[in-house]
Amino acid sequence: MRRVLVTGLGAVSPFGAGVKAYWAGLAAGTCAIRPATLIETDGFRCGVAAEVPDGVGGSSRRSRADRLAFAAAREALEDAGLAAADHRDTALIVGAVGGGMLEAEAWHWTRRGRPVRGPARLGAVRSILPSAHAESLGHRLGLGGPRESIVTACSSGAASLAVAAELIAAGAVDVAVAGGADALTRICYMGFSALKLLDSAPCRPFDRDRKGMSIGEGAAFVVLEAAEHARARGARGYAELTGAAMTTDAHHVTAPHPEGDGMARAMRAALAQGRVVPGDVGYVNAHGTATLQNDRIEAAALRAVFGEGRVLVSSTKSMIGHTMAAAGSLEALATVLALVHGLVPPTAQHEHTDPEVPFDCVPRVARETALAHAISNSFGFGGQNVTLLFRARP
Amino acid sequence: MTVRVAITGIGAVTLPATGGAAVLAHALAPPADGAGAALDPERIDRVLAELVEPGEARRLSRVSQLALVAGRLAIADAGLAADGALGLVIGTELGDLRSTIAFAEGYLARGASGLSPLLFPNTVMNTMASTAAIALTARELSLTIDAPGIAGEIAIARAAAFVAAGRIPAALAGGVDELDPAVAAVLAEARGGFAVRGEAAAFVVLESLAGAAARGARILGEVRAAATGALPASPYGVGRTSTSRVLARTLAHAGVGPGALRAVYTGTNGDGRRDAWEARVLAPVAAAPRIALARRFGQSSALGALKVAAAALDGPALVYGLARGGGEAALVIGG
Amino acid sequence: MEPKEVLDELKSLLVSRLKFDPRRVADLSMETPLPKGVDGAIGLDSLDFIELSIAVEERFAVPMDDSEDLVPHFATLDTLCRFIAERAPSA
Repeated sequence: MRRVLVTGLGAVSPFGAGVKAYWAGLAAGTCAIRPATLIETDGFRCGVAAEVPDGVGGSSRRSRADRLAFAAAREALEDAGLAAADHRDTALIVGAVGGGMLEAEAWHWTRRGRPVRGPARLGAVRSILPSAHAESLGHRLGLGGPRESIVTACSSGAASLAVAAELIAAGAVDVAVAGGADALTRICYMGFSALKLLDSAPCRPFDRDRKGMSIGEGAAFVVLEAAEHARARGARGYAELTGAAMTTDAHHVTAPHPEGDGMARAMRAALAQGRVVPGDVGYVNAHGTATLQNDRIEAAALRAVFGEGRVLVSSTKSMIGHTMAAAGSLEALATVLALVHGLVPPTAQHEHTDPEVPFDCVPRVARETALAHAISNSFGFGGQNVTLLFRARP
Repeated sequence: MTVRVAITGIGAVTLPATGGAAVLAHALAPPADGAGAALDPERIDRVLAELVEPGEARRLSRVSQLALVAGRLAIADAGLAADGALGLVIGTELGDLRSTIAFAEGYLARGASGLSPLLFPNTVMNTMASTAAIALTARELSLTIDAPGIAGEIAIARAAAFVAAGRIPAALAGGVDELDPAVAAVLAEARGGFAVRGEAAAFVVLESLAGAAARGARILGEVRAAATGALPASPYGVGRTSTSRVLARTLAHAGVGPGALRAVYTGTNGDGRRDAWEARVLAPVAAAPRIALARRFGQSSALGALKVAAAALDGPALVYGLARGGGEAALVIGG
Repeated sequence: MEPKEVLDELKSLLVSRLKFDPRRVADLSMETPLPKGVDGAIGLDSLDFIELSIAVEERFAVPMDDSEDLVPHFATLDTLCRFIAERAPSA
């Protein structure tokens, strides 16, 4: 199996456009969860979300999610500095959930006489499907390799990296652009609200007093490249993706397996692939949604794999909310940058660690730590678990 | 590919036929591309009512029921034990849009208290895979692939690669789409023509050849090579390029020349411009008989598994899919 | 509301919101347990209970307080009917 390097990064996050803005926000421990403006929140308890600030760019004929995806994917490709000729065989693997739902909702709501924020166009329904991002990106960026849209709920962004890594490792392609994108949608917001899973204040992952999730939006893409291909063109890359594992709980459509069985299996499989023992891992970027259930079960799975207190754990969702299909890729990016900078992003809003979470959750302030290996976990609704293992470049 | 990938089971729910290999062999036998006899569109509803237990049906959306029944038929056909060592790769074009609309309508009609927590998980397209994984005890990876036209072919190519790499011991791979009149009407209005025209679910069971032989499984065929890619085209448009590197690479990898193919399973479905484009791309294999299953079985993401099944039953054959927008998939199936 | 009316309304919610077959629901007795895993229960899981509590809140105007342990009230149709009869605002 061939080795896979991360050679390009691109992001649009609730901190703004670009990887630089993203890392600056994470390193400062800033919380980007604020009063929501994109969707109507009257009649619901939670009025906050982590929205990408104004100036997403791109034509207003395109869906917001498409525009987020394009900005991030283009940044990643430019960052990787690939020759145009490479694009022809480059794979494009996109994690998506909401697709163009935000605009389709506006159209449908308007048809039913409901007031909405934002424009309402029939044409928007054309790009409603999750696959719309890949269809548009593939064409605009001239990518002729495998083109696949992966939907695994909250772990879609991570699953896209796992699928892309597999394509490279198996020798099917040398280069892949992989990541996820999601814009805020009413359906997502209302659904989590109906399940009583949203905190009315910014979320507090792993905190004893946590009350639920915050939703967010964004996009992140990475360029993954076969190590020899990168070496041949003198690209050092940011980190190596040494393990990528996907498992399924097969337990319940919304609740995770009570002992975190699928989560633990994903972590162990990723470690085995990377030939890394738990003790070598310095940092876990958790799924950490701040729901009572996820954090408790994820902590149990972490304990089973690493042992109590043997690894730093933080949740990026404390700062950017749960960005749905983008989460797995935005958080993979955070993990790569942690390795590059030797700095672990904190868990914001963290005051009292839940006694059932026997880990240092890096409360509120980023921690300088030399890291050799780090993992990023994404555990999707319905028990679709993905663990990505990264190694610092030498 | 490092490990050889065997096809050990087929299962499908389609308008002309529902069942495993024996039933489908009959429906897929040449000439399988004739138009189906006028069939009662409610036949699929009756199949679901018969094959899905009420307790299960209560908690499964219609498209998830379709997927589950076909998945169960395939697993039974393969004689595979439900021990968790199974991955799922499900292709779809529209997913469960019907549930998404119903969920939104609940709110539009009655406000926040009209929202249905039971419906919410169905608003994410992985609901078919999520519910099938629970019912089938599938604990390896489960992926849902959304694509216009060829999602089933892509799913099988992806699953075969995971089996070949030794990442999973067995996989249920294929696709499902349901045809909901309300959904169809909205999309037709907005997109002026989209791929899904029929409804069906079909899956194949893939496992390592060695594993299949070790458990004494009946081997229907083999995935000798598979690849996906994209020809240049504007989104949902028809392109001008006729040379497919995916096609060439797949044939080369399988070590099969055009003359050795017993058939080429195409995506011809009445979309004239797309059909013509595909025909040009398939010029290098023009000598082999072309078989199009969409006329009989309807255009849906189930076609991928139906094509692979037909190829396995009468191989070696090429399965090729080319979607509007340029997405393509090629598989060489050994009989 | 009279307990019999409450029962009839509850049964119609089981059909409309929880998608039970009407014939199945017609046969249910007051003593029928609700949660999955209990012998003879109609087998509701956690998601069913969230749906049911929203439906009860909407139909009977009974406020569901998240801080209160409501599980005992949802044990059988009988306990649920009593809970609703006690808490529903008078007509």
